[in-house]
Amino acid sequence: MSTHDVAIHEEAAGRIDGILLRFLEESSAVDALLIDRSGQLLARGGTSRSLDTVSLSALAAGAFSSTAAMARLVGEPEFTMLFHQGLKENIHVAAVDDQAILLAVFDHRTTVGMVRLFAKEATAAIGTVLAESKGRPVRTGDLAAPLADGEGARMFKERG
Amino acid sequence: MSIINYAKKEISFKIVYYGAGVVGKTVNLQYIHRTLPDDNRGNLISLATGDERTLFFDFLPVSTQSVRNFVAKFQLYTVPGQVYYNMTRKLVLRGVDGIVFVADSQWDRLQENLESFKNLEENLREYDYDLAELPYVIQYNKRDLPNVAPVEYLEFLLNRRSRRVPYFEAVAVDGRGVFDTLNTVSRMVLVNGFAQEQGASSR
Repeated sequence: MSTHDVAIHEEAAGRIDGILLRFLEESSAVDALLIDRSGQLLARGGTSRSLDTVSLSALAAGAFSSTAAMARLVGEPEFTMLFHQGLKENIHVAAVDDQAILLAVFDHRTTVGMVRLFAKEATAAIGTVLAESKGRPVRTGDLAAPLADGEGARMFKERG
Repeated sequence: MSIINYAKKEISFKIVYYGAGVVGKTVNLQYIHRTLPDDNRGNLISLATGDERTLFFDFLPVSTQSVRNFVAKFQLYTVPGQVYYNMTRKLVLRGVDGIVFVADSQWDRLQENLESFKNLEENLREYDYDLAELPYVIQYNKRDLPNVAPVEYLEFLLNRRSRRVPYFEAVAVDGRGVFDTLNTVSRMVLVNGFAQEQGASSR
């Protein structure tokens, strides 16, 4: 299996939160999501409004991976950023490393240039944290013992 | 590839419903979405064509009560079944933790099931994944139709690898077999989120 499990330990989570908050302050973007390329949300900065971040993560990872496939068709290894312009809200997605992407939602209070500039700094900083995390044990604490018989059995039930 | 977040006490997995066109992959997700309590599920997103065929994927996030202090989250995806959408099918498999292979039980669809299974193996190989190590189950769908092959024959065709996997008979439109399939594959996947017995394979 070429992929590895990803573990975000509390210390790494704190550092990533700090980077995302600084990115939001500097770029004046409204939301920042750190997303695994498989479509799962890793961290969120800016929790001031309700946003379906789970769906947004799956769709952004899908869009980013399909543009990467398009890039390869024209001879590029990857398009490293993606920009969607709306009437009021815009979305900027940038590659962090081969495992993660950074999505920013922003409006008229800033520009795509500002978001791009600070996203570059943020993705580099997050990449460092993720790289350091890779050396740490994945399963500790509650996860350190195997699942016992009966644990996690019939987790889903239909509404009665 | 599970994602473990110690700060939020969450563990997340990706499960992909795979199979040929119009075998009922989307119908499985629609039934789960319709019948699972609201607290356990998010929105169902379908990227479909005008004639309701899946274009890119369907997506439904579901979650459980905590298992040993961790909330277990499962992202359920489907792939487009049509042969010509292989590129997008491959993209959806990225980072997959478990697979539900949905087969159409009708005699005249058996060849397509076989081709889809072969296509799954090929696409997994591109990510260096191996079905011998990946948790998966098989669902024989549309058991209510008149021209279906016996399950023993479907098993002979599709479940003949060295490791036989759990299978389920289903009528996904009515929900029959849908939750048995989901509960089994999610339990198999969850096992991998925890440490393994010494000497046991991690997958």
